Amino acid sequence: MAELTLTALGKRFDSHVALADVSATFHDGEFVALLGPSGCGKTTLLRLLAGFEAPTEGEIAVDGALVASARTGKLLPPEERNMGIVFQSYALWPHMSVARNVAYPLEVRGFSRAERRTRVAAALEMTGLTDYADRMPAALSGGQRQRVALARSLVADPSAVLLDEPLANLDLSLRATMQEAFAAFHERTGATMVYVTHDQTEAMAMADRVAVMDGGRIRQFATPEVLYSEPADAFVAGFVGDGAVVPVEPCGPAGEGGARVRLLGQEVSARARVAGPDRLCIRPEDITLGEEGALRAEVRQCTYLGGRFRLRLVAEGGLDLVAFSTARVRQGVSLGLTIGQPWGFAAEAAHG
Amino acid sequence: MSQSLARNWGGSRSDDWLLSALMGLAILLTLAPVARLLIEGVSGPDGLTLAPLVEVLARPTTQAALWHSIFTAGVGTVLSMLLGGAFAFLVALTDIRAKGALVFCLMIPMMIPPQITALAWTQVMGPSSVLLKTIGLAPPLGSPQPLHSPLGIAVLLGIQHTSIVFLTLRAGLRAIPPEAVEAARIAGARGLRLWWQVVLPLSVPSLAAGTAMAFVTALGNFGIPAMLGIPAGYSTLPTLIYQRLAGMGTSVLTEVAVLALLIGVVALAGVVLNRLFLRRRAYGLIGLANRPLEISLKQLRLPVELVLWLVILAILVLPLLALAATSLVPAYGVPLSWQTMSFGGWYEALFRQPVTARAFRNSFLLATGAAVVLMAICLPLAWIMLRRPSRLSRTFDLLVDLPYALPGVVLAIACILLFINLPLTDLTLYGTIWIIFIAYIARFFTVMLRPVQSALAQLDPAMEEAAQSAGASLGKRLRTIILPLTAPAAAAGAILVFLTAFNELTVSALLWSSGTETLGVVIFNLEDSGETVMASAVSVAVVGVVIVLMGAIQLASRRLPKGVVPWQN
Ligand SMILES: Nc1ncnc2c1ncn2[C@@H]1O[C@H](COP(=O)(O)OP(=O)(O)OP(=O)(O)O)[C@@H](O)[C@H]1O
Ligand SMILES: [Mg+2]
Repeated sequence: MAELTLTALGKRFDSHVALADVSATFHDGEFVALLGPSGCGKTTLLRLLAGFEAPTEGEIAVDGALVASARTGKLLPPEERNMGIVFQSYALWPHMSVARNVAYPLEVRGFSRAERRTRVAAALEMTGLTDYADRMPAALSGGQRQRVALARSLVADPSAVLLDEPLANLDLSLRATMQEAFAAFHERTGATMVYVTHDQTEAMAMADRVAVMDGGRIRQFATPEVLYSEPADAFVAGFVGDGAVVPVEPCGPAGEGGARVRLLGQEVSARARVAGPDRLCIRPEDITLGEEGALRAEVRQCTYLGGRFRLRLVAEGGLDLVAFSTARVRQGVSLGLTIGQPWGFAAEAAHG
Repeated sequence: MSQSLARNWGGSRSDDWLLSALMGLAILLTLAPVARLLIEGVSGPDGLTLAPLVEVLARPTTQAALWHSIFTAGVGTVLSMLLGGAFAFLVALTDIRAKGALVFCLMIPMMIPPQITALAWTQVMGPSSVLLKTIGLAPPLGSPQPLHSPLGIAVLLGIQHTSIVFLTLRAGLRAIPPEAVEAARIAGARGLRLWWQVVLPLSVPSLAAGTAMAFVTALGNFGIPAMLGIPAGYSTLPTLIYQRLAGMGTSVLTEVAVLALLIGVVALAGVVLNRLFLRRRAYGLIGLANRPLEISLKQLRLPVELVLWLVILAILVLPLLALAATSLVPAYGVPLSWQTMSFGGWYEALFRQPVTARAFRNSFLLATGAAVVLMAICLPLAWIMLRRPSRLSRTFDLLVDLPYALPGVVLAIACILLFINLPLTDLTLYGTIWIIFIAYIARFFTVMLRPVQSALAQLDPAMEEAAQSAGASLGKRLRTIILPLTAPAAAAGAILVFLTAFNELTVSALLWSSGTETLGVVIFNLEDSGETVMASAVSVAVVGVVIVLMGAIQLASRRLPKGVVPWQN
């Protein structure tokens, strides 16, 4: 198990910048998710970690030892990095049985036959594949193939397991099962895992920390609850969770970790880490609806979510807001709002 | 992504060195002979000159042979296109029965050496046809053999290369998504309109590719014009070269090189024309061709099937029967009956003449050797060309077809020029079996390389990356991942190489010497010296061996991985 350190990492393809100035530390035994829209550089980052691509800037270290550096041109080839990888396409070798697929990394490393057998048995057991050991990959279901790829990636005690959207091909219920399997596996082995996904629910549910990426940069790297309640900028606030980002005027501090801001002429107190926030992230939970209220908004849309309704509101001045309601509200009805403790941040936030 | 893979697909220094050496070897084997030929054609006693070129081109014999070549190959190609095209459309698109058997029978003419085809057909027609005599239909003695004519040569060339058009077109037809045809049917198109407006335009690229290939192969064909044209005094370029060389030996090498270049130019012109023609006609196909098309012919099915099998009967069974009949008479010209039937020719040819056994052994060893060596070279080579493309490898990729596209006789001359005197030594390969072997390697390189290349290109790169992450070195990956996954394509290539090399005549016709005869050479020499009965006996034996081999592969096909049997896909 290992700690992965990325320092000012960048990757250019000809003139296209796929990754820029990425610095982060993935701790030993941590489950990290890379989350971001399509084309933001998640796969590129993963391939840099695995050693399939060389960085054009910065460096990567595993447990303090440099494995890739743009400065010195050093590049430890993938076969010497001791990492496990699970591809979106699984990449099982169709000419080998399940057991042989799983045993391959041990074979390459020169393990004895007996050692191989016990380790393969353990890996198959952990992924619930013991009964399928002698099947060929073609005779497996999607979820089973997925588990073979997982067993293969971890059988040789890799220092880290890299997963590239491993569940994207599976149906919803199988996805849920597999998510549980990943979590259980992570708990059991304590392996450092880097998990690429563009599904925020998946990232939030499974990861210890989530790196939200956009345009080749990490916008915020934090625990799921921090991402939700204290987004660093408008992109993270919009990409993670529901709600709205609105511009406000700062009007003075309000004690420790707070600020007073003016929203549509009303003074509101907000949580903030910066002195004068000029943006608010208002989650649906931050809004209490009532007949009265200084702030008024009109209902534009009402969607049933199961157990509650999601209301899209437009406040005076054309501000879009989102709130939850326990009862259905007709379109066009005007409601009063009370806003409690939203999160304030500066539009020109320093990234990091 | 392949670019970045190419750049840092890990591997040790010694691996790299080996790979470059392999690339060098491949270039030397395939392109050196062609380059040598080019130099010979433009060199005189004192340096480079165009004088011999101009001189040879100006001769009437050259111009006549050039015209003869273009005429016979051209007419033959049209016939191949019509026959092969009709078979391919019917087999690939309709619900006729026994498709497997039809395909198998259509493959056989390609696997039968052309000089045997020619011999067999002369046994079907003409005044001394044993078959015709036996049924009492032979024309009177002294009347001409109708096949000893330009049209005769063209027709046989057409039959010989039907399977090339058939196989290429069928592969193309299979790639047409059934939805494209079904959508047209829903729109109301039926029958010939459907074929003319949807199927034909979509299959034009593969039809043209097959036709170009058939033209190039027909142009370089030696066996058929040699057997039919030489007795009639009708020379094509390959037979003219052969006659010049046989008459005057190596003193006419420059002249021969010029003639060879001439064939090369015509062949290339055919290929280039084909490319130009296709440039605006290659449509990208959208959708997956997962189901074969099966358009019902209804009440037409039986008649169509009958016609197809009658064609097979005419182009395959009839000539083989005639050949077998000839091999069983005591002397050429005698009608065959229970009284006259004799195995004398068989006995004499197969057991008394040591050269026949020797030729069987030589051809077998050469064909096996070529298949094995090519498999060993092409697998890693295809990998380098795909994963580490360089300007060198791309150029090689463009030119590797040349030794196959050039007529065998031309390649043989190129090899003679190159190896008659090994550089820096007094040694010569001319007269040894090695010169034939090297020529085979050069000639069949592309037959092996192309299927392996396309199998490799279809492989998900993640397959290899997964192995790399598991810690496998390049050598290990090639052995445990790439080799098994491309093995079916390699095996299919090896089978094609073996079957074509086993029957080959054009290359060895100029390269053999006493002791290194191949089967093609033995049959040609027997017929040339008037031993038609014995030539027929050896031919029937060769055809028998080929059919048995193909049959064995066919029978084993159910247990072989998908894709191993080249005529099934
Ligand atoms: N080999 C390459 N050459 C040029 N550009 C590339 C290459 N690989 C990736 N890119 C570009 O780099 C950017 C990041 O690609 P990457 O594959 O990392 O995206 P991603 O975040 O994994 O997206 P997705 O969620 O769609 O898989 C994209 O704009 C892509 O076009
Ligand atoms: Mg990706």
